[in-house]
Amino acid sequence: MKILNKLILLLTLFFSATGIAWSAGGGSSDLDKHVGKVHIQLSNNASLQRGAKYFTNYCLSCHSAEHSRYKRVASDLGIPEDKMIENLIFTGKKFGDLMTVAMKREDAQKWFLGVAPPDLSTHTRVIGPQAVYEFLMTFYIDDSRPFGVNNLYLNNTAMPHVLADLQGLQRGEFHMEADANGIEHKEFSQFELIQPGSLSEDEYKQVVTDIVNFLVYLSEPARLVRAKVGTGVLLFLAFFGVIAYFLKKNYWQDVH
Amino acid sequence: MSEQPKSVESQGLLGWIDARFPLSKMMREHLSEYYAPKNFNFWYFFGSLALLVLVIQILTGIFLTMHYKPDAELAFASVEHIMRDVNWGWLLRYMHSTGASFFFIVVYLHMFRGLMYGSFKSPRELIWILGMLIYVALMAEAFMGYLLPWGNMSYWGAQVIINLFNTIPVFGEAISEWLRGDFVISDATLNRFFALHVIAVPLALLGLIVAHILALHEVGSNNPDGVEIKKLKDENGVPLDGIPFHPYYTVKDIFGVVVFLAIFSGVVFFWPEASGYFLEHANFEPANPLNTPDHIAPIWYFTPFYTVLRAIPNPFGGFLMMCLAIIVLFFLPWIDRNPIKSIRYRSLLFKLNLWVFVITFIILGYLGLKPVTDLYSQLALRFTQIYFIFFFVLWAYSKPRSSGFWTGSFIVLLGSIILYDFFRSSGVDDPSILALTWWTLLIPAAYLFLTLLMPKLSNWDTEKEVPERVTS
Repeated sequence: MKILNKLILLLTLFFSATGIAWSAGGGSSDLDKHVGKVHIQLSNNASLQRGAKYFTNYCLSCHSAEHSRYKRVASDLGIPEDKMIENLIFTGKKFGDLMTVAMKREDAQKWFLGVAPPDLSTHTRVIGPQAVYEFLMTFYIDDSRPFGVNNLYLNNTAMPHVLADLQGLQRGEFHMEADANGIEHKEFSQFELIQPGSLSEDEYKQVVTDIVNFLVYLSEPARLVRAKVGTGVLLFLAFFGVIAYFLKKNYWQDVH
Repeated sequence: MSEQPKSVESQGLLGWIDARFPLSKMMREHLSEYYAPKNFNFWYFFGSLALLVLVIQILTGIFLTMHYKPDAELAFASVEHIMRDVNWGWLLRYMHSTGASFFFIVVYLHMFRGLMYGSFKSPRELIWILGMLIYVALMAEAFMGYLLPWGNMSYWGAQVIINLFNTIPVFGEAISEWLRGDFVISDATLNRFFALHVIAVPLALLGLIVAHILALHEVGSNNPDGVEIKKLKDENGVPLDGIPFHPYYTVKDIFGVVVFLAIFSGVVFFWPEASGYFLEHANFEPANPLNTPDHIAPIWYFTPFYTVLRAIPNPFGGFLMMCLAIIVLFFLPWIDRNPIKSIRYRSLLFKLNLWVFVITFIILGYLGLKPVTDLYSQLALRFTQIYFIFFFVLWAYSKPRSSGFWTGSFIVLLGSIILYDFFRSSGVDDPSILALTWWTLLIPAAYLFLTLLMPKLSNWDTEKEVPERVTS
């Protein structure tokens, strides 16, 4: 089939072109050398449920997720209504409400050095899961900052280290390094745990992974179902395609 | 007075309708007795596929407008509402956003088909012009649709594009203010873009598409051999190499539709962002006039022209060249005047020229996605030069030329490029930029050597005999 060959060629061209473009664009931070890469697993429902719990407990008091509803999260993650209301909804909100925060935007800006905490409904889709992971992994002690901590991913962040009681507090060690032009820069070497938290390093990594996993889900709830629906659609099209092919072949028998 | 229908008089309900409306007559004229060449190949799927994408866009668009709110305060949230709270809303939205990109993929392949087989040549000039108008309307439609989600890239993309009009001397500011309906991109802009995207441009598109198809059916379709099938007819007046569009091409197109939908669904369900090329990452946060995205790139189908714009240092000059890059396409029927239509019988040099053009278009598109670097801005200029010289070469290949013509045009074109290089590098001290300027000169020089000197130095300009009837 000549048509099929052309189609394959065209597809290869298309995907290699986007592949080149993609590989040329990706990768800006090299923090993954120190904290590893996050593995997103939306099929891991237990992780998503834990992530939801951490999110509502640690994040949702300052960050909103104003496009998402508690009810939708509960039904997507299989959390019963009473459990959801008991453990994940704190602010007197109703089950069907949007996940907003009570804090006024102007107040938030005053308290957090002029930057209101961003809404987290879709934020992970903007910066990507690895970035969120690196951000939550790399808080370190810095007395010059108002909340006593700084961050390697987001230098001079206005956010306090809300997970400090879990991770503990770490000190960053830096050294000077010359770049290609011979100009010296402060480069990160490693972290040293000064004050241990309630979790081990691996346990904390799991907590952050759960949170990021949940945020990926939260930024696009359809991700839980779209591949499933898509598989069905493709199977149907494959079946219909065979019929369409033989229908065409049959009609075209008399064309010479 | 009118001509008697050939087939049997229709009866019953159809007969009742036919007495009042030319239903059967239209079915015959446009489907069952519209004779299309029997040798359509792969490239002839994209016309019907473009129509399919149009239908997908209109249907999903209707349902999206039921939930979307064209209000700067509500627009972003309403799109997220569609993505989360509307049943199958995410599917409607992804079909619509993926459909926009696929519309351009299909239309670019459709236009390339026309270039390959000379489908724009007499008597099909008007089909081509109507097609170009559709293409321009489609660009307007896509540009205005992109503002509607009111994401940060929507906002800044529109900002950059509308500001292009500022470069027009004297009237620039007034024109862009008139387009925005405000001094900045605002709720007023969003509202008018919504109206234009949902009513005005689609109406124009539909009218143009009907005209495009009517014009096509008036003169008949071209084919991969570029042979006019209407020249040889049987005793009933049916072209010897023609087959009725229905059922032959309807069943064939059904197969094409299924293959297309499989690829389309692959993106919609498994890769809707297409790594940020169909849905840009920065567009998942609301428009924020105080927060410019790190890198503003137009969506991929505009980037070849965006690169042309950026290749010229003078802003108004860049704007004009960008417009010219589109306008020149309208004149294709009068640029390529070679009587041979199909690439199959054109010279090797024509084929090389066409493929260089395709590669140039892709490279220009790629450069438009990337931030400007010293190397990229030189490449942008070089490939912009090739983009425009392509049309000169196409014109030059219209008929046999003298040896002096080839030498002369080679010297004049290369000379003007070098002259422009001297002009633009005067006052540049950076040795690395100067090196880039002169090294990249090899690109247009090689292109000019290939296309303008090879006709003299080789027999690559030999054309083939066009057969009387279609092959295969």
